[in-house]
Amino acid sequence: MSLVKIFSVSSRVRAGGASSLVSRHVQYSTEAKTEKVYPPKEPGYMYVNAVDPNMTMKALSDRAAQTMFWTELARGFAVTLAHIFKEPATINYPFEKGPLSPRFRGEHALRRYPSGEERCIACKLCEAICPAQAITIEAEERQDGSRRTTRYDIDMTKCIYCGFCQEACPVDAIVEGPNFEFSTETHEELLYNKEKLLSNGDKWESEIASNIRADHLYR
Amino acid sequence: MSIVKILGLDKVASFFNIIRQNGGIRGSLYKLYRQDELKDGTLVGEDKFGNKYFENPRYFYGRNRWVEYSDNYNMNYDGSQVPAEWFGWLHYKSDLPPHKDPARPNYPWMAEFTENLSGTTGQYTPYTTTRPKVEPWVPERKSTV
Amino acid sequence: MLRQPLCRALALSSPARAVPLASRSYSNPVPAEPEKVEVFINDKPVYVAPGTTVLQAAAQVGVEIPRFCYHERLAVAGNCRMCLVEVERSPKPVAACAMPVMKGMRVKTDSDLTRKAREGVMEFLLVNHPLDCPICDQGGECDLQDQSMAFGSDRSRFTDVHFSGKRAVEDKDIGPLIKTIMTRCIHCTRCIRFASEVAGVDDFGTTGRGTDMQVGTYVEKMLLSELSGNVIDLCPVGALTSKPYSFAARPWETRRIDSVDVLDPLGSNIVVTTRTNEVLRILPRTNEEINEEWLSDKSRFACDGLKRQRLVTPMMTDSRGNLMPVDWEDAIVAAARALRDCPPNKLLAVAGDMADAESLVALKDLVNRLGSENTCTEQYFPLDGAGIDLRSSYLCNTKIANVEDADFVLLIGTNVRFEAPLLNARIRKAYVHKDTDVALIGPKVDLTYDYMHVGDSASVVKISPRGPEGSALLAYTQELACKLQDKLQDKEWKVLNVLQRTASQVAALDLGYQPGVGKALQDGPKVVYLLGADSGVVSRDQLPKDAFVIYQGHHGDAGAAMADVVLPGAAYTEKRATFVNAEGRAQQTLVAVAPPGMAREDWKIIRALSEVIGERLPYDNLDEVRDRLSEISPALVAYGDVQENNYFAQARALAQSLQKPVSGKLDVQLKHLEDFFMTDTISRASPTMAKCIQAVLKQKDSPY
Repeated sequence: MSLVKIFSVSSRVRAGGASSLVSRHVQYSTEAKTEKVYPPKEPGYMYVNAVDPNMTMKALSDRAAQTMFWTELARGFAVTLAHIFKEPATINYPFEKGPLSPRFRGEHALRRYPSGEERCIACKLCEAICPAQAITIEAEERQDGSRRTTRYDIDMTKCIYCGFCQEACPVDAIVEGPNFEFSTETHEELLYNKEKLLSNGDKWESEIASNIRADHLYR
Repeated sequence: MSIVKILGLDKVASFFNIIRQNGGIRGSLYKLYRQDELKDGTLVGEDKFGNKYFENPRYFYGRNRWVEYSDNYNMNYDGSQVPAEWFGWLHYKSDLPPHKDPARPNYPWMAEFTENLSGTTGQYTPYTTTRPKVEPWVPERKSTV
Repeated sequence: MLRQPLCRALALSSPARAVPLASRSYSNPVPAEPEKVEVFINDKPVYVAPGTTVLQAAAQVGVEIPRFCYHERLAVAGNCRMCLVEVERSPKPVAACAMPVMKGMRVKTDSDLTRKAREGVMEFLLVNHPLDCPICDQGGECDLQDQSMAFGSDRSRFTDVHFSGKRAVEDKDIGPLIKTIMTRCIHCTRCIRFASEVAGVDDFGTTGRGTDMQVGTYVEKMLLSELSGNVIDLCPVGALTSKPYSFAARPWETRRIDSVDVLDPLGSNIVVTTRTNEVLRILPRTNEEINEEWLSDKSRFACDGLKRQRLVTPMMTDSRGNLMPVDWEDAIVAAARALRDCPPNKLLAVAGDMADAESLVALKDLVNRLGSENTCTEQYFPLDGAGIDLRSSYLCNTKIANVEDADFVLLIGTNVRFEAPLLNARIRKAYVHKDTDVALIGPKVDLTYDYMHVGDSASVVKISPRGPEGSALLAYTQELACKLQDKLQDKEWKVLNVLQRTASQVAALDLGYQPGVGKALQDGPKVVYLLGADSGVVSRDQLPKDAFVIYQGHHGDAGAAMADVVLPGAAYTEKRATFVNAEGRAQQTLVAVAPPGMAREDWKIIRALSEVIGERLPYDNLDEVRDRLSEISPALVAYGDVQENNYFAQARALAQSLQKPVSGKLDVQLKHLEDFFMTDTISRASPTMAKCIQAVLKQKDSPY
C-alpha cells in the first residue's frame, strides 16, 4: 500500500463500489424482461444509502491498517494546517460587509419630496396590506388642508420585512431602506413612531434614492 | 512561472508590503489587535467621520472592499458607523464611491448620519405623536388658595 | 291600505306646552288594484305593477343594475346613464331607472350591448374624474370605485397626449360640515334632489352645460339645513365628504356598532363607527319606522363632543371648595354617607336628558328604598288630570312613520324642524307627495314647507266655538283631539300626539318619575342627586346653602360644576342601555367604545352606591336590571316594538275638570337654526357644533 493510497480520499467508498450490489439484484430477477434494476441505472439517479463494506481480504487489511496507523487523524490535521495558509472564506464584519441588492428590505423610512415636504398622504394602503398588522396610522387634516398622518407607528418587532408596504405606497413614501444595523438593547426602541421614521428617511435618503434609481427599470 | 513565485517569495514580499502599509511593526500590531487582520489596498476615500475605505481586487469578492473605522472610535467601532453615502459602495451595490456619483441627492433637509445609538443616552425612545383621545373636564377653581 | 279614504290629523307639541291635532273628513273612492304586467329580465319572467321601472323590476329578480343618480327615496333624474340596459326591439339602450315597464318587455342586463354601453359610460365618467383615490375620503366605500371594478372596462384608452389635463372645478364652501372637492363630482344631482325634496332648501343646483356643468349654490352660500349631512351619504363619489371626519379613517379599518341616537327624542337608528376606542363618526342606519335612512346633523356630527369635556375620574370638593380627583371608593363613600344621613323628604333625584332606563330604574329604586318619592325629570309635563298616568297622554301615538298618511297636521307650540328634524322631514314628505295640510299654533318659524299659521296664542286651542298653563292646555288639546277622533271614519287612527323633547323623558315617565322639579325644589332639599341633569333647571341659587349635590354623568357642564361629588358615568356610545323614543318604542344602544378613564356604566354606579348605603339593590347584572324594568312595564324591554295606546276618552274625562280659561303665548326654545345645534351636554362640548353656529351667524350677515 503506497503512501499515496493512504492519503487518498474516500478509498473506502471506492472499495465498496455499487456494481456488486447491482449484479446481485440482477441475479434474482433474470427471467423478467422489464426487470427493475435497483438502484436504478438511469442517468440522474444516485444511490445515497450506505453500501455494504467490501469483505475481501485486501480491503479488510487496508481498513485495519488505517485504523491502526491513525491515518484519518493525520489527514485531518493536514487539512487544518493547510487552511492556516489559505485565504479565509469568511468576511471580517464589521470591516468587510457582504453584498446587498438594491432591493434589500431593511429598516423602514418615510421619505420626503425634494422640497422637504413629507410624502406620506395617509392613504393607509400600507396599513391595510401589512400582513403582520405592524403599522398603525392616524390621520387628520393639516392646517393647510392637506391630508397627513398624525401617527405613523411601525412595530418593528411585529414586522416581517415582506416589503408589501413599499409596494402598496402610491407615493413612494414608506420604503424599506438598506439599513439592517438597527438592533437595539430594549424592545421599546423598536416601536418606531413617525418622527423616527422620518428621521431615518432624512438620514438614508442618499442611499434610498440611489437604490430606487438602480431598480427603476425593473418595475 | 517565475522562480520568485515557485519559491513563494512574492508572498514574502507582500507580507512586508502589508506591514509597511499598515504603519510598521508597531502599527501593524495595533491594527491586528483592533481589526484581527492586516490587508493591503488602495485608499478609495474617506468620509466626514474619518472612516477610510479601501479596495483591493486581489481578495475575493466580498472581501475586496473594507472600511477602517476612524481612530476616534478606538475599540468602539460598530457596523452602523458607515454613513449612508458609503453604504452602497461598501455593500457592492454600486461601484461608484459617493464623491464620484453625481446622481446622489443632496437636499438641505437631509440629516446628519448617526450610528445606532441604542444603549446610550442618545437612544430613541418611543412617544406618541398624537393628542390624547379624550379631553377631560377640568373644574373651575373656586378659590385660588 | 285600509285607511285610505280617511282624513287624519296629527299634531305635535313640545312637552312643556301641549299638543293636539285635527282633521277634516272627505273620502276618495278606493282605486282598483291595477293588473300586474309580465316582463322578462334576462328571460326570467317577473310580474310587477304597471309604472314600475325596469331597474326596480330587475331588483325583484335579484339582478342589480349599476346606477349613480338613481336613489329610491329621491325623484328619478336619469342623467348618469350608468343604468343603460338593452331592451329587445329597442334600437338603443334605455335608462333602466327612468323606463317604466311595458307588457312583455324583454330586458337584457348582461348582453354585449349593455356591457358596452356601461363601459362607455364609465369611461366618460373616468375621463374627467381625478385619480386621487389615495387621498379621497370616499376611498373604500365609493360607488364609482366599486362599479368601475365591476362594470368598467379592464383597460384604459385615456392617453393625455397633449397634457391638457383633466377637467378641474373650484371647490365650494358650503359650511363647516360638508367638504366639497367638486372635481370629483360626476353630476348625478343626488345632492340637489335631496336638498330640494327632503331638506326643503333649494340652495343647490347646476350651472353650465356639457363639460362646463357644475354643481353648486349659484352664489357664495352655505348649505345650512338641519339635514345637510345626509348629502354626504348620498354622494356616490368623494365630491361631498364629511369635514369633521376628513382624513380620519378608512372604512376597512373601522368597527361598526349598531346603536340608537339620544340627541333628539326620535331615537334614530345609527351606526357608530369606531377605531382604537375612539368614536370616529356616526352614520344613519335604515329604519323605515323612524328615520328611514336619514339622520339629523346634530346626531351625526355632535359625536366629537364625546371626546371633550369628559368626566374621567370621580371628584370631590376639598376643604376649599375645589373639585379634586379622588378614588372611586372615597367618592362613593362620601355620596353614600350624604344619602344615608339625609331625611327622606329632603332627598331629591333629578334625571337629565340622556339618562337610560336602566340607570333611571336603579336610581328610583334606591331613592324609594331610602324612603323618598322625589324622583323628577328636568323636562316639565303637566301632572294634573290624566297627567302621566295614561301612557297615551305623553306619547306620539300615531307613530312616526304614519305621519306620512296624515291629511292634516296641526302643530301646537312646537318647532318640529329643530326638536325632531326627521319627523319634520316626514311631515314635509307628506306635504310634498300627499298634499297634506299643515297648521301651526305657536311662534312663526320656518318649517321648510308652507303651513297655515293659526296664531301664537294658547287660547286658539279652544277651537273656534269656544281653546299656557300646561295642564289646561293639555286638557284642551285632549278635548280637541277626542272631538276630532269622533269624526274620523278610521277609529284606529290616533289623533293626539305628544312630542317629548328629550330621549330620556318617556322612559322616565314610564318608570314613574315626576316631570319637572318645581315643587320638590321649593321644599329645600338637603341632598340632590343629579343623574346627568345639566339643563340648568336645578341651580345652586335655588338650593339651600348646605345642600349636598351629587352629580353623576359623562360631561362636565352645569351639573358637575355645582356638585360636591362627581361620579363619572358613560355616554350613550359607551354602554348597553335602553332608551324609549317619543312614540314609546324601546330601543337599546350597544357598547361601541369603553368609557374613558375611570368612568363606569351608570346603573352599576348606583348599584355600588346602594351597597355602601346598606340598601342593596337586588340586581347584579344587566339582565336582572332589565327583568326589573319589565316588572314595571314590559314595554320598556320590548325592543323595537311600539305598544298601542288607547284610553284617550279616559284621559279626556280626567282632564275635563281642568278646562279653565288659558291665556298667554305659546313659545318654543328652538326658533332658528343656530339654536338647534347646541341643546345638550354632548353637543355643547362639540367643536363642530360650535362651528355650525358660527357659520349660521355668518350666513346671516351675508347678502345672500
